[in-house]
Amino acid sequence: MFIRLENVNFTYNPNMPFETIALKNINLEIEKGEFIGLIGHTGCGKTTLIQHLNGLLTPTSGRVYIEGLDIHQKGVNLKLIRQKIGLVFQYPENQLFEETVFEEIAFGPKKLGLAEEEIKKRVYEALEMVDLDFSYAERSPFSLSGGEMRRVALASILSIKPQMLILDEPTANLDPQGRNRILSEIKAIYDNYRITILLVSHNMEKIAEMVKRILVMNKGEIILDGSPREIFTQQAEKLINIGLALPQVTQCFYELKKRGKYWNGGILTVEEAEKEILKRTKKSVDVQK
Amino acid sequence: MNILRNISFGQYIPGKSLVHDFDPRIKILGCLLIIISLFLISHFWGYLVLGILLLLGIILSNIHPRFVFRGLRAILYIIIFTLILHLFMTQGETIFRWGFLKITREGLINGLFVSCRLFLLILTTSLLTLTTSPISLTDGIEKLLTYFKFMGLPAHEIAMMMTIALRFIPTLLEETEKIMKAQISRGADFDSGSIINRTKNLIPILVPLFVNAFRRADELAIAMEAKGYRGGEGRTHYRELQMNKKDILFFTLIVILTIMVSLLF
Repeated sequence: MFIRLENVNFTYNPNMPFETIALKNINLEIEKGEFIGLIGHTGCGKTTLIQHLNGLLTPTSGRVYIEGLDIHQKGVNLKLIRQKIGLVFQYPENQLFEETVFEEIAFGPKKLGLAEEEIKKRVYEALEMVDLDFSYAERSPFSLSGGEMRRVALASILSIKPQMLILDEPTANLDPQGRNRILSEIKAIYDNYRITILLVSHNMEKIAEMVKRILVMNKGEIILDGSPREIFTQQAEKLINIGLALPQVTQCFYELKKRGKYWNGGILTVEEAEKEILKRTKKSVDVQK
Repeated sequence: MNILRNISFGQYIPGKSLVHDFDPRIKILGCLLIIISLFLISHFWGYLVLGILLLLGIILSNIHPRFVFRGLRAILYIIIFTLILHLFMTQGETIFRWGFLKITREGLINGLFVSCRLFLLILTTSLLTLTTSPISLTDGIEKLLTYFKFMGLPAHEIAMMMTIALRFIPTLLEETEKIMKAQISRGADFDSGSIINRTKNLIPILVPLFVNAFRRADELAIAMEAKGYRGGEGRTHYRELQMNKKDILFFTLIVILTIMVSLLF
């Protein structure tokens, strides 16, 4: 077991008039090599939850185990935990501060006390992982476009070589092109390096297409946990009830099924939809003959 | 990581009470009078009277004493520091000696006196900010400053700047916390190392913070312009401040009390 959360509760500003309960009794297990999507409304506790996974927040009650180690025991070096679990914040381009992209990406490895050569190697490797030209290394991060800045920020976590990558809405506020690029890079990172990935996103189409397991949060609780097919087809009703959307094709077939019994409601991707439509039209042509 | 959340000095605690309801102008002037008299008083008895007055204010404000004293904790060190300075640095009749250090009678009295003064100062201003929302506070200040307009004082502009500054304190705190967390996730370390190293470690926080603050200021300016903001000339208020009987009564009480206390002690 890579990560295990046991009865985790978290409250912001406890015993204050502004007290808010952010997490309620979270139990969660994550294995190495998983690719997980985390969905839920804004303010449902997603960001709070992921900040527990690398020890940035300490649960009000409950335990967080990483590789079997209770990370809030006395004497645990949280820096080591944060090397294992790389967390990319929302709008990570807002954290850039160095003079060059190279320095920016080298920040983490330098803090690890690595040798000059190794740092260089890691920086170029990370640039490659996020599909940025080596010519970017000497540019100022503030001269880049929003999408490029975000990829530099992602690279600056990748250069630490974490075993797990957590991404908090990596596509927020990007244009469609930038969005697709960053997602395909994340997919490539998963395929090539088998890093465990937890992806927080509102983009249901991409989530359905990319991840193997989905966690659905609502009001501080994990209410659903399963494969995209289970969540989007069998639990469609529940998702809609809490106000979340289905992937567009799934939504379309869900509505069709509601109206006519012939349609298969469990469609997840455009390819599946194509097959289903072809199958149906062929049948009806046959019947007409 | 929760350091930033614990700053409660100057925080507003919403509530409904007599003290919350007073006109902000009255509260500001009242505080000013109390502060002036705190400096005029030269005897402990005066502090006792004002202390009781403030205690009454806290009770009437319905605010849990925990919040009041949480805010005082931050300045406890300053009080202790001044107390120590006074204890050892004042010349006079020695009452205690240990090596080259000596405590004088005058030092002890002076130290306690100044500590009391500081304590009551902070208590007064805390009571003001705890019971007055930033908006009504700046409204009050703006109204008070307009009386000085004949001197060319840009009352509205000053008030607007204060409103904006106050408005962005929580935003900046939140942002600082977020940037700190992000840099910690990237391997930064803010709690260990020498003072020089710790100062250097602030760069990854300060640079993004300033970059974002400037960007935000720019956006705010454009947004204000888009909404047709053109300074205070002819601008009306959504909530007009109005004084009623209880405000005037309260103010007269404060005036009489502070004058008496200042003259007597």
